Amino acid sequence: MEHEFDAEAYAKAAAAAAGLPLDPRHLPGVALNLRLAARMAEIVEAMPITPADEAAPVYVVAREVPK
Amino acid sequence: MISAATSAQSVRAGEVTATELVERALADIAARDGSYNAFTEVTASRARAEAASVDAAIAAGRDPGPLAGVPYAVKNLFDLEGITTLAGSVIEKDRAPAARDAFLVRQLQAAGAVCLGALNMDEYAYGFTTENSHYGPSRNPHDTARMTGGSSGGSAAAVAAGLVPLSLGSDTNGSIRVPASLCGIFGLKPTYGRLSRAGSYLFAGSFDHLGPFARDVRDLALVYDVLQGVDAEDHAQQWRPIEPASPILEAGVAGLRIAVAGGHFACNGHKEAFGAVEVVARALNVTAKIEIPHAATGRAAAFLITMAEGGNLHMPDLRMRPDDFDPMTRDRFLAGALLPAHWLMQAQRVRAAYRAAALKVFDEVDVVITPAAPYVAPLIGQQMVEVDGEEIPVRPNLGIFTQPISCIGLPALAVPLADPSAAGAPGGLPIGVQLIGAPWNEQALFRVAAVLERAGVVGSPADR
Repeated sequence: MEHEFDAEAYAKAAAAAAGLPLDPRHLPGVALNLRLAARMAEIVEAMPITPADEAAPVYVVAREVPK
Repeated sequence: MISAATSAQSVRAGEVTATELVERALADIAARDGSYNAFTEVTASRARAEAASVDAAIAAGRDPGPLAGVPYAVKNLFDLEGITTLAGSVIEKDRAPAARDAFLVRQLQAAGAVCLGALNMDEYAYGFTTENSHYGPSRNPHDTARMTGGSSGGSAAAVAAGLVPLSLGSDTNGSIRVPASLCGIFGLKPTYGRLSRAGSYLFAGSFDHLGPFARDVRDLALVYDVLQGVDAEDHAQQWRPIEPASPILEAGVAGLRIAVAGGHFACNGHKEAFGAVEVVARALNVTAKIEIPHAATGRAAAFLITMAEGGNLHMPDLRMRPDDFDPMTRDRFLAGALLPAHWLMQAQRVRAAYRAAALKVFDEVDVVITPAAPYVAPLIGQQMVEVDGEEIPVRPNLGIFTQPISCIGLPALAVPLADPSAAGAPGGLPIGVQLIGAPWNEQALFRVAAVLERAGVVGSPADR
């Protein structure tokens, strides 16, 4: 994935979509961190999971506060 | 440095007043903190008022609490009433002062402890070094040219330098355990959900833990016991009974199954990190080895989730005033705000699967020993380090052994080698190991740490 990932182009497009002004001075550092994140994403993608594997955070509707 | 336990005993016995202790500590901070840059604010008026209150309680025959007159300080992401909570930033300087103390600060005050101030940290806790561009780097008391580690670097420096016997920090990916190792002190990251985080500035809430630093096991247990308590204001807190550590410090390790972790935890560092594990294992007669499955994957998941949660949290300021962020954190927050949703959700599902696999380890063992940090404290400003024959960035790698553990909320206690040279630590600089337990089994970690301390294997090495 990493070699195909144009981090600068992605950063510009995603920032525009998210309404995040991205100063060109910050772009190299942002792209560097996105490429690092892409390597982490590759590791995460490599772990076999099934549709039964739910996300870690679990919504709780209410809890009874102990006395 | 007089321990917290001894100080409290002396105050309770009327051998010294809390006011005398506080005045000594304030003078010491004024004289020496310039070398360490641990404090960003000294709360002298508050400290004097709290000390006077303790002394008044004793004079009136009331119980002043188990930490009577003990000085402490907190990472500057804890709310202190009347002071703006900086979280290492300049952006927060514009916010209103905190209306009341954080929950854990209130617990300490109720126990008679005296707050001396707020401590340096990486901006918004996003770092492992406390090289804060706004407030300057905190400096390692064992070599002021070196990092303290982070993000609770000021908290570690203040205790390691003997300015206070106790401090509080936070640990999202290793921010208590890494500086504890680099500064040669004890640091506890309890189970996720054990201690209330109400009144602290979060970073990545699904990983954020709070915990204490101390120079010996007895003090660490004493403060940990006081910090426990139910608080409805932290939605992540699990409302468990108080499970104190102080009463079990003499229990020994008989019956505990202990093993050294291999795989991910046996590479990615320097010889002193693994030497420290060997020294501790030998002292405990531990030969068993285990694997924490998918640890590297867990670290990757933590990396992505942290980026995304942090970026989202700071989006308003990233949009409006990105140049007011510390250059050390800004680009990471910006990138985190832009991660594809798929990466984040995959990381959250992998996190749960990794947790399920890792928890099976505790069917076989009670305590796992790993390195706490991959090497001794790097030089302030150092960019790269050689690991396993490869030049890699020094900063993110500091959390290589802690991140997989906080990712799934396991309790972990960082203990410093009393003699770092026994592990081959260059220059005798501090190095620690990480004791890891099953969820809610902090007591087992304290039992192991206490045995190691009594054997002289772990302990805060003397400041040089």
